[in-house]
Formats: sequence, structure tokens, C-alpha cells
Amino acid sequence: MSELGPIFRALLRNKVGALLLALQIAVTMTIMVNAIHMIENRSSLMARPSGLDEANQFYLSSTGYAQDFNEQLVVEEDLRLIRQLPGIVDATQINAIPLSGGGWSMGLSVEPGAEARGSGIAVYFVDDNGMNTLDVELIAGRNFSASEIGYRGRNATEWPQNIIITEAAAKELFPDLSVSEAVGKTVYINNDEPMTIIGIMDQLQAPWVGWSAVERVMLVPQRTLFGSSRYFIRTEPGQRDAMIKATEKLLLDRDVGRLIRNVRTMEETRDDSYRGHQALQTILWVIVTVLTIITALGIVGMVTFSVNRRRKQIGTRRALGATRWQIIRHFLVENALVTSCGLILGVGSSIALNIWLVDVFSLPRVGWHYLPIAMAVLLVVGQLAVLGPARRAAAISPALATRSA
Amino acid sequence: MLKMTNIKKVFRTEVVETHALRDFSLHVKEGDFVAVTGPSGSGKTTFLNVAGLLETFDEGDYLLDGQSVKGMSDNQLARMRNEKIGFIFQSFNLLPDLNLFDNVDVPLRYRGFNAKERKERIVQALETVGLGSRMKHLPAQLSGGQQQRVAIARALAGEPRFLLADEPTGNLDSAMAQSVLELLEDINKAGTTIIMVTHDPILAKRAGRNVFVRDGQVTEVTKEAELDELVQKTAQVGG
Repeated sequence: MSELGPIFRALLRNKVGALLLALQIAVTMTIMVNAIHMIENRSSLMARPSGLDEANQFYLSSTGYAQDFNEQLVVEEDLRLIRQLPGIVDATQINAIPLSGGGWSMGLSVEPGAEARGSGIAVYFVDDNGMNTLDVELIAGRNFSASEIGYRGRNATEWPQNIIITEAAAKELFPDLSVSEAVGKTVYINNDEPMTIIGIMDQLQAPWVGWSAVERVMLVPQRTLFGSSRYFIRTEPGQRDAMIKATEKLLLDRDVGRLIRNVRTMEETRDDSYRGHQALQTILWVIVTVLTIITALGIVGMVTFSVNRRRKQIGTRRALGATRWQIIRHFLVENALVTSCGLILGVGSSIALNIWLVDVFSLPRVGWHYLPIAMAVLLVVGQLAVLGPARRAAAISPALATRSA
Repeated sequence: MLKMTNIKKVFRTEVVETHALRDFSLHVKEGDFVAVTGPSGSGKTTFLNVAGLLETFDEGDYLLDGQSVKGMSDNQLARMRNEKIGFIFQSFNLLPDLNLFDNVDVPLRYRGFNAKERKERIVQALETVGLGSRMKHLPAQLSGGQQQRVAIARALAGEPRFLLADEPTGNLDSAMAQSVLELLEDINKAGTTIIMVTHDPILAKRAGRNVFVRDGQVTEVTKEAELDELVQKTAQVGG
């Protein structure tokens, strides 16, 4: 016999304390559900594959300062020498680093003209070694050939004929075509400059991890002559750190009047890019944990107060034949009822807060599975919080029933 | 029915030992209506607590319904209290947030009766004490006498082997006390054994048998005059 009915009716006669606790549980659940949803959302953003072989990639900048510094010759020779280093898989010059936060983007459209709807796309200028260095996979069409690679000056406005785009970009530009059917299609940049898609790669991320079109990327077959060059380098597995030293030494030993700067690994770059996400996750976890502890302490406090207020009643129940377990169960059931009311309220308020967050901050909708999980967690926390005071209640002597108040 | 032999109960603190019961022996037979009287601090309440299995004792033997309670676990004692003893307390001890029906229901739920049987017993018990029409009332909506009747109904509903009444009329005016006492007498006549602890000799004289407790020991009182004499002596000593 769980005494559910009498306990519920007794609670209805002492609503205020129970209601306040139920509201606290509802607020905790609301924040818990939405905070964990945001944490998981951030985790899934951070877990998105960049398309790179991040553990084995690094990059550096080469900036010329000498009067006779010939960037084109230096870049060609640098890359040739770097590729010859044992432990290096490949190297390319690149204008921007994926995930780094800084880069280029353009608009591509499938029709010429200023009125045509453009789709934003990140731009990486690479040579024919670019795909192998980045470790992206070609899923349709072909890679650039060496003869297609051109040079782009600081003030250049024209674009080469051929490009390679990601599968996500192809689906955005040609939603009705299969990926392979997008190969050979013409797209337009700068309103009316035609470009031909010669290849589709599986995946590569833009420099901006918070961009909604982060998966839309195009590779352009050009080396840049902007005075400062970035070399993106991929090593054999486990060779990265050794190759960083070897590459720096190689380049510094070439006395061509330039500086080598900003040597960074892709793992460092990823950590920097997602530092804000990780901080937010930590803060949200702390909030959820603290709130859950406060709720548990609230339950402990309320039940302790209730036990102290009802010592004679508990003694009477013991005198009437309640076992210690029946006293503990009484408080567990009482708390389960209050907690359940709070959780039912919490379901509504969790959904309401999520709808508001979706509207205002464009967050994704919370998955329904969060609700039963949060309910189960808070129910268990509530029951554990009750156990201590309930055990103290069960230890009250039945002889208390015969003592005057 | 209830047989206590040489019961000893000592309360100990760090500095003092209080012998609440010493060589306390009492035999109550089925159908008895025993009044236990004595001055304050004589050991009446300790006797009641030990007899009602609310407290354990240090030495001696206690047979309840032929069964020794010595060494019983807490759960066994709870079950014995629930099944064999009905309690009536001086301050009624009704649960204020429960209506009369639910109050009488409390020990029956601990007993594990099903809902149908509980309902039958509750209705019958409340009708026996004349409160069948007020089952949904809260204790606070009743007079003291009515509350004590509910407590009696709660004690009776489980059909216990005997009732233990602790100053059952102590908080009632004389009219209500009379009414409650008559109810207890009717219950006794119907066959239920009653042990009533009281400090009131007039009330005690209504019982079929009187015992007097002083300094934790019991004296059987066979004549009404003896009871008056004992009460007077105690009053003089105390005064």
C-alpha cells in the first residue's frame, strides 16, 4: 500500500511549500533541458568533420622583405623542397586556413546577371597539390592539372575558368541534380563571369565555423602573389612535430630575404576556433550542475523541515504499526508526487523556452528525448535527496506518540 | 493475553540512571478492563510504552498474546503493534491533514488490507463511534470528544487483541469524558481487553480492575477504598 491517495490529498491541503518546490523543479528542468540541448548542439558542431587530416597538418607564413624578393620563384622552390622532405606527404600554397576565422568568400549563381540569386561560398586558392595536401576526396569529376595553375596578383579581379566545389555547395547550387551531374555545369561569379565545375570533393569546411554555409567551399587553381604566402603542409602520421622543425629549418636556411611566421598546427587552430564553444559548454554544465544541487538541497531542506514539524505524527504512525521502511516510503512517495508536478510543469516550460530560443536565436528545436531523460534524472535526484531526511524520520521512536507535544 | 514478569526499564544519561520500572509484574487476562493509576513520574507512561511495544525493556519477560516480545526486531514489533494493539492517546494524535476516513485508514494500510476490506472496516468503526456521517471531515472540524472517538475508531478498525488508552479523557471536559468512557465500557463489554492509564481515581473506579504504580512498581488494588487511600497518601507525600 503506497498511501498515494491520502498523501496526495494531504499535499493539496498544504499547497504552498509543495508548489514552491514544484516550481523550483520546473525551472531546473527548463534550464537543464535547454542548456544540455545547447551543449549537445555545440558538441555536434565541434564534432563536424572538417574534411582535413588535422592531426598531421600544419601551416606557416612566408613573408618577403628583401628588395629582390621574387615571390613566385620563392614559392615554387619552397614547395618543391618541402615536398621532397622525408615525412612530408604534400604541400600547397593556400590563401586562407580552414577553421581559422579569416578567409575569402564570394557569391556564385547558376544564372548570369546582378539579379540572379547568389550562394555564398568560401574560396581557397590552391595548386594541383591542394586536394592531396588538404586530404579531401574527389567524388566526381577531376582534380586540377599542373597546367591549369595560374598566379593571382594582389589587385586581380578576374577568375580562372575551372573550379572544384564541395558536395554541399553542389547541392546548394543544383538541388535537383545528382553530384556527378553538377560536373561540367557553369556557374557565375561577379555577376557574369562564367566558371566551370570540373570536380566535386566530399567535404571541406570554410574558415568560419559559425557560418551557416560552412560546408560550402570552392577550390580555385591559382597561387597568390600577395607578398606573404601561406604554406599548408601534410605529413606522414606521427611526423608532424618533427616536420615542423625540419620545414622551418629548410626555409630559414634558404637565404631569400623573408620571415617565417605563424607556424601553427591544425589542431591548435581547431582549439582556438572552438574555444568559445568549449567555454559556453563549461559554463552551461556548471549552471546545470549548480542548479541541480540547489534543487536537491531545496528538497533536503523542505523534507527536513517537514520531518521536524511532523515528529509527533511520525511517532504516531510508527505506534500504529508503520515499519521504518513504510515511513521512508511515505516521504519518497510524497516527494515523487511533488517532483512529478514540477516535472509536468517543466515539460511545458522547457518547450516554451525552446520555442523562444528558436525564434530569437535560431537555435535548433530541442529533441523530444531530452524531456524524459531530464525527468528521470530529476526524479532520481529528488528521491536521493529525500533519502537522508526520510531515514532520520524513520528513526523517530514510536514512544514519541505518548509524549506531550 | 498480557503477561509482564519482573520487567526492568532504566533510562540512562551520562550522569544519572532513572529506574522507571523495577520488577514490574502484571498479568492482564482476556476481557479485562484494567485501570493503571499512579502519581506523575511513577512509571505509568513507561509501562504503557513497554506494554504497547513503543519502547524496549532491559530485563524481565513480556508475553503478549502468548508470544515473547523479547529480542524481536523493529519490524516484528511494528507488526505486533499493528495487528494486536489499538492505541488511544491523550491528545488524540490524529493526523491533521487527513480526513476521518483516511485517519482510520492509516493502520489498515500498514496492515496490507485491500481497499474493499479497508473501506468496510473504516465505515463500521466510524459508525460504531457515531461518526459515520462525518468521514470527509478534517479533525480540526470536530470537537475534542469527537476527535477522541475517531482515535477510538482508528484503534478498533484493525480488531486488535487489546486497547491501550493513555489518559483518554485527559483533554476532555466532563461531559465528553463521560461519553468517551461509556464508549470504552461498551467496547469492553463487547469483548475487547482494555488497559487504561489514568491519574483520575474516579475514572479508574469505573474499570473492572485497578492497579496502582508507584516508583516503577505495581500494586494490585482490590477495593475502591484502597485506591482512595493510595491516592491520598501519594498526594500527601507529593504535597
